Amino acid sequence: MDVRVDDYTIGVLTNVALFSFVALSAYLLLLAGEMSFGQQAFFGVGAYAGGMLTAMFGWPLPAAMLAAMAAGAAAQFLVGLPTLRMRGLYFAMATLAAAEMARILFELLHFQRTVDGDTVGPDGTQGFRSIRWVFEAGIEPAEYLALIVTLLAFVIAGFGLVERSRLGATLRMIGEDPELAASLGIDVDRVKLGVAAAAGALAALGGVLYAHHNTYIEPRNFDIMLGVHSLVYALIGGLGTAAGPLLGVLLDIGALEGSRVFESYRMTVFGGLVAVLLIFRPRGLLDERVVHWLRSRFS
Amino acid sequence: MAKVALFLMLSLCSLPSLAQRVQGDLACTFTGTDFVYDCVIGLKRSGAPLAGASVTVSADMPSHPMVHNVRPVKAKPGKNPGEYLARLALDVHFGEWAVKLRLAGPVRDQLILHYDFDEKGARPVTRGGRPPRK
Amino acid sequence: MLVDLVQNTLDGLTFGAGYALLALGFTLIFGVLRRVNLSYGPSIMLGCYAATWVSLAFHSNLFFLLIVTVAATILAGAYVERLCFAPHRGGSAIAAMVASFALWMQFEELATVLLPRHLYSFPALYQGGPLTFGPLFLRLEALAMLATAAIVCPLMWWTLYRTRFGLAVRAVVSQPVAAELAGIGVARIFVLVFALASAIGGLAGYLIAASHEQVTPMLGMWSTLKGLLAMMLGGLGSLPGAVLGGLALGVLEAHSQWFFGPQMRDLIAYLLLFVLLAVNPRWMSAWTTTRSAS
Repeated sequence: MDVRVDDYTIGVLTNVALFSFVALSAYLLLLAGEMSFGQQAFFGVGAYAGGMLTAMFGWPLPAAMLAAMAAGAAAQFLVGLPTLRMRGLYFAMATLAAAEMARILFELLHFQRTVDGDTVGPDGTQGFRSIRWVFEAGIEPAEYLALIVTLLAFVIAGFGLVERSRLGATLRMIGEDPELAASLGIDVDRVKLGVAAAAGALAALGGVLYAHHNTYIEPRNFDIMLGVHSLVYALIGGLGTAAGPLLGVLLDIGALEGSRVFESYRMTVFGGLVAVLLIFRPRGLLDERVVHWLRSRFS
Repeated sequence: MAKVALFLMLSLCSLPSLAQRVQGDLACTFTGTDFVYDCVIGLKRSGAPLAGASVTVSADMPSHPMVHNVRPVKAKPGKNPGEYLARLALDVHFGEWAVKLRLAGPVRDQLILHYDFDEKGARPVTRGGRPPRK
Repeated sequence: MLVDLVQNTLDGLTFGAGYALLALGFTLIFGVLRRVNLSYGPSIMLGCYAATWVSLAFHSNLFFLLIVTVAATILAGAYVERLCFAPHRGGSAIAAMVASFALWMQFEELATVLLPRHLYSFPALYQGGPLTFGPLFLRLEALAMLATAAIVCPLMWWTLYRTRFGLAVRAVVSQPVAAELAGIGVARIFVLVFALASAIGGLAGYLIAASHEQVTPMLGMWSTLKGLLAMMLGGLGSLPGAVLGGLALGVLEAHSQWFFGPQMRDLIAYLLLFVLLAVNPRWMSAWTTTRSAS
């Protein structure tokens, strides 16, 4: 087995899987009618929290993952509270502002400990090195990928359950017409805050996994580009199903990476394709109509 | 799958092991073809050059994480002990890259080196006085 | 101490003039088309890059570079308008925005293909030192920026309130259906507004690049962020608000940076926006018309 092909494919798939967490968290908010430009902040919260716990305090990864998800949920809940009444561009800009504030706070975070003779911990703009728990536990890249994919599969299964349930219908109703939802007795605020916490946890889970994959994180990793990308992947892939955001991520990172023929014009090709695609499918590829049609054919 | 679960369960009680850390540096020359560099990697461990390691090199861009995927290449042993040669094809443009070295063989370790790549070659990144974000 | 305060305010107004122009462009597009154009900053960056390339290849004079910047920005803007906004005119605002993001990616790649290095120097307007007024300094670029904003704003006002074109634009903004019925070519208005916004953006971009004496690929995102921030701070959808928002942002940044450093400078600006959005004072949403902001 040629190590180059294996390593490369594993690397690409890992990146696709990690990005999917953020894309899915943006998707969850979109279902509830909220367009967030800030999910990268919660990805970062998960990365820093999880990294600090394993690298500085010796926590094992599973526990750190849970703690990171809790931190992400709490953070997004805190941002969700003042933004409850905001819609559209106002909500988007507020989440953007919050995420940039978080990134600047990461730049100001200096918190280090000496562990086994090494200085470990976040060091502002210099970043946070030596997040080596996964590496030192002897987990190979292929195994780590398997773990990430398993977790992602659980998440998608969860989405599948929610979409078929009353909660899913409630969510979409809140997204389409909150006044109608409220008039039907739904506590819109509570659902929105719950969705916010879930989205934060989801992004944070991606973050802690990313931190341990990379073994190094810095504030620059969590800038606006990540957030806007994840939002766009969800919107291009389509909002009909959780497979939509996944498709969006795969299209960019997966398919176009594979077609090396485009070389330095990859973004130009992808951007052009997306713009043209949106003219014909403004609601993305797997939008509600397509998903409904697919479900009625196969059930 | 079960193997991973077992690893995780066994690791629940363990602390990360102390490994003898490897230090590395990079000297790259631009080949003239866009974004391809010939690099000499120098590895040291406890001050002495580290020979006989199997080194796989790849890179990621800090400002666009997960989006650029540089094909990992196996480095060949260089002239002197502790030196390894690799041809690195960066993805799209010059700038700051985080070069990842994965070592197997007698020593198992993972290094990340930050270098700024341009037409002249690669320089280590000094974070001290970053210009204000324009 | 007082000198510092005045100097900071002066510097702030200078930066703010640049932000005001950027916000003006954003607001024109948002106010008239009711759409957010994420490619606005990147199209300006492309304009600056075109000028940089020309200056590297031909060592042209400054005025020619200004023409190149503005022309390239308008061209880029026309491309965006045709591909992202014209097809979605009656349809989804989000689709238009996502499409504009896709073109943002294209522009960034095109810029790095054209000029691959991370940083390029841009010719300054004036090689000499700054003007001094007593203890205060004013660079010539700063003066140019202030003067440009001081000319563009009344020109905008005159265009909107004293010309037939302006009347048509205002009609499209407040009553688009009626305007269409009255025979105003709404599509044509959109194209012209887009061109106008791009022209202002190109002008702002040229002055900003000349002030900093350099261009980087980050210019695209930076202009977008500053323009959006200033537009929101001044109250979404209002042209005078955009100008005031830009100036206020500039002054706020200058003072914040002086007292607390560059990171706090950005933090304070974002915090202010977040707090304002949360509190939602009447003047912020007073300018928007009855149609919703998405």
